Amino acid sequence: MSKRNFLAETVNRLMLACSLLFLLAPAIAPAQQKPVVDSKIAVYQKVSGISGSLNSIGSDTMNNLMTYWGEAFAKYYPNIQLQVEGKGSSTAPPALIAGTAQFGPMSRKMKATEVDGFEKAFGYKPTALRTSLDALAVYVNKDNPVSGLSLLQVDAIFAKTRSGGYEKDIKAWGELGLGGDWANKPISLYGRNSASGTYGYFKKHALFKGDYKDTVKEQPGSASVVQGVAKDRYGIGYSGIGYITSGVRAVPLSKKADGELATASMENVMKGKYPLARFLYLYINKEPGKPLSPLVREFLRFVFSKEGQEIVVKDGYLPLPFKVVQEELARLEGTN
Amino acid sequence: MKNFWKSGDPFVWLTGGAIALSLIMILGLLGLIVVNGLRQFWPPQIVELHLQNGETVLGEIWEREEILALDGQGSGHRIRLKIGNRDLYPLDFRWIDESEIVAKRYPENVLVLERLEWGNFYGRFNTLKQGNTILANSLGTGQEALADALAEMALLRTRIRELEKDEIGSINYDLEKLRLEARKLLLTSDTTSVAVQRSLTEKRKKMTVLQRQYLEKEKALSALYTKSREMVLTATSADGREKAIKIFDIVRLTTPNALDVVARSRVFLSRVAEFVSAEPRESNTEGGVFPAIFGTVILVLIMSVAVAPLGVLAAVYLHEYAKQGLVVSAIRIAVNNLAGVPSIVYGVFGLGFFVYAIGGTLDQLFYAEALPTPTLGTGGILWASLTLALLTVPVVIVATEEGLAAVPREIREGSLALAATQFETLWRVVIPSALPGILTGLILAIARAAGEVAPLMITGVVKLAPSMPFDGRFPFLHLERKFMHLGVHIYDVGFQSPNVEAAIPMVYSTTLLLILIVILLNVVAISVRNRLRKKLAYSVF
Repeated sequence: MSKRNFLAETVNRLMLACSLLFLLAPAIAPAQQKPVVDSKIAVYQKVSGISGSLNSIGSDTMNNLMTYWGEAFAKYYPNIQLQVEGKGSSTAPPALIAGTAQFGPMSRKMKATEVDGFEKAFGYKPTALRTSLDALAVYVNKDNPVSGLSLLQVDAIFAKTRSGGYEKDIKAWGELGLGGDWANKPISLYGRNSASGTYGYFKKHALFKGDYKDTVKEQPGSASVVQGVAKDRYGIGYSGIGYITSGVRAVPLSKKADGELATASMENVMKGKYPLARFLYLYINKEPGKPLSPLVREFLRFVFSKEGQEIVVKDGYLPLPFKVVQEELARLEGTN
Repeated sequence: MKNFWKSGDPFVWLTGGAIALSLIMILGLLGLIVVNGLRQFWPPQIVELHLQNGETVLGEIWEREEILALDGQGSGHRIRLKIGNRDLYPLDFRWIDESEIVAKRYPENVLVLERLEWGNFYGRFNTLKQGNTILANSLGTGQEALADALAEMALLRTRIRELEKDEIGSINYDLEKLRLEARKLLLTSDTTSVAVQRSLTEKRKKMTVLQRQYLEKEKALSALYTKSREMVLTATSADGREKAIKIFDIVRLTTPNALDVVARSRVFLSRVAEFVSAEPRESNTEGGVFPAIFGTVILVLIMSVAVAPLGVLAAVYLHEYAKQGLVVSAIRIAVNNLAGVPSIVYGVFGLGFFVYAIGGTLDQLFYAEALPTPTLGTGGILWASLTLALLTVPVVIVATEEGLAAVPREIREGSLALAATQFETLWRVVIPSALPGILTGLILAIARAAGEVAPLMITGVVKLAPSMPFDGRFPFLHLERKFMHLGVHIYDVGFQSPNVEAAIPMVYSTTLLLILIVILLNVVAISVRNRLRKKLAYSVF
């Protein structure tokens, strides 16, 4: 980034911050609307002759989602039980390989070694289905006037390595162009513990694989990160967009230093403008050329139905666009 | 001055001050939990705010704080309003500047609907419809029709629950049992033999009968669900949007602004009752915590049954039979140190030893027909209880040893002098006198176990258990099942639930409940000890 560019950006920020001083109220009002499920996605049609029990072992991010889906699915088929165990994405591949679970929810893609392990056991690769979208948000206190951050700045705030290449370490809010009382207040960092998939994702995509600062206050859950930032006027933290509360604000982000800022809205995620979006996957064991067992197939058809995607919205994540739903359904029905 | 120091008063003040400080801290903490835990059950006034930009909002005021401007100076206040209507708005809560408020009113006709899904709805009555016929189109004239509809749907909810959980539940349970039995036959016995074949056909026949029963129940159930969709209440939210809500989905309907204190107290009590006796909803952030209470109590009971004999026997050996020396001292030190091992270490041990090693082996020996789905080779209430038993065994050993040491030498020698053997002396004289000490140990163990969370999370507690560890189906106590626990519930709701803002009061209430249960368990144990003490006072001495 050239020096002049940085200067322009700083001036820009200062002006924005000043204007925000007078317009604090609009920053507080919830700006976004509930995401809407695409109306082209079909309603779930009940079939007969489904029974048995299902096991799901995997991601803790998707724990609620799987529970919600299981409860709603059992409304159609009261003789079905879904047991959900969510201790982390890394527990999904071993469970699928051992056959103890039919579903392996994962908030990241399987690593090559995990896919190899599966292939060694069955002779074919596991099938990854995209079930919903999650946007990882960077949260600040609701009073914080910062207009937006680039990933490089996020990197300089959270990481000690600055692998993104930002020229200096960011320690105080003043270095982000905030004036007044904020100028020399240190930035107070909140984050997840290292067992979390969110920790790993943020490290890889926002910190450019760098290392977190030692001053990051590690929290045991996504909700406590948000609570921490809501109580700490000078705090900043990251968590899934589903955990947003009225006490915090999700900062618009840009990928490049002077790129266009994008909020974590469904539209921006779909267009690829929001830099920290990811799919939430459901891994299954599908033998090529053979149809799925009716129970598993019906559950997945439910997930990709209007009702299933509405549950995604209810849990605070973003529903799939119609095109992706069609693709995934085709993969289910197809025998290839 | 010198006299003052000499008199010993300062030490009395020092010790008294220490106890006062402890009391203040304990009472403060308890007060905080009680106030916050009970407050959420009290129906608050619903306020209607007209804002400068023409907006109208309805909701409960939760807190008020000073706005700090950019220069760090206060500039007015703002309030946090619970606006609910999760299906219409992105968030349950909203901050509103007091300077923006034009008018503030408490209209009497505002409805609060507590719903099965999507949380509370705040709005005004529009129409009550059954199918296409309108039953009422104003709250004033519709009171009775509404109350009837609510009562009818509450009955329907109970009926559907019964049908789903009990009737269809038992059919499934039997079906699964038959399926496993059939698989076991196929796996273990000679399938060509006539007896096996006959037994298999019989099982299949039974399964078909059950299947048919299930289909009938399912038909009945879908008829009930159709009925549940009949009655609909349309209500208008503060911003004028109309929303049709099934009466079936309404758990409680109140008009809080029109209620007096007596009516409010009634709502309060019914909410408390729901919290204690109902099942959780909306991924544990609403509804009750009954399964968690049940799981916690059963867990502690099984743990007590396991820890008492183990701890007492170990202590008796250490104190009565073992030759006192270096080895015994070393063991004693080791036991004392065990009490200081972090509880998560016990959890990991329980997972590795009980769940994987013992559970996995038992599965292969006795539950091979269910594999690869593990039966005992996965976390469950038995393994969690045994892990807690290991965790608390040092407490019982130490307390029992102290109880044994307190038995006077003369009594033992008297017994031995009357030609009783060492075992007889122990069994008839020493242990009964040491019983209060043993029970004290057990009380301490219970208190520690009931509040323990970390080891449970990896040995069998789940966020939402589909069935409870104890029910009406043979063999009644299902030790292999996963269960819910109050402590883990607190952790889960407080740290991991989406919409944590709305769930925070639930954390306080659950904490309060957990404390009450620990106190209750202790009171029971203490009263048992006191009764024993009295009884012993007559029989021994």
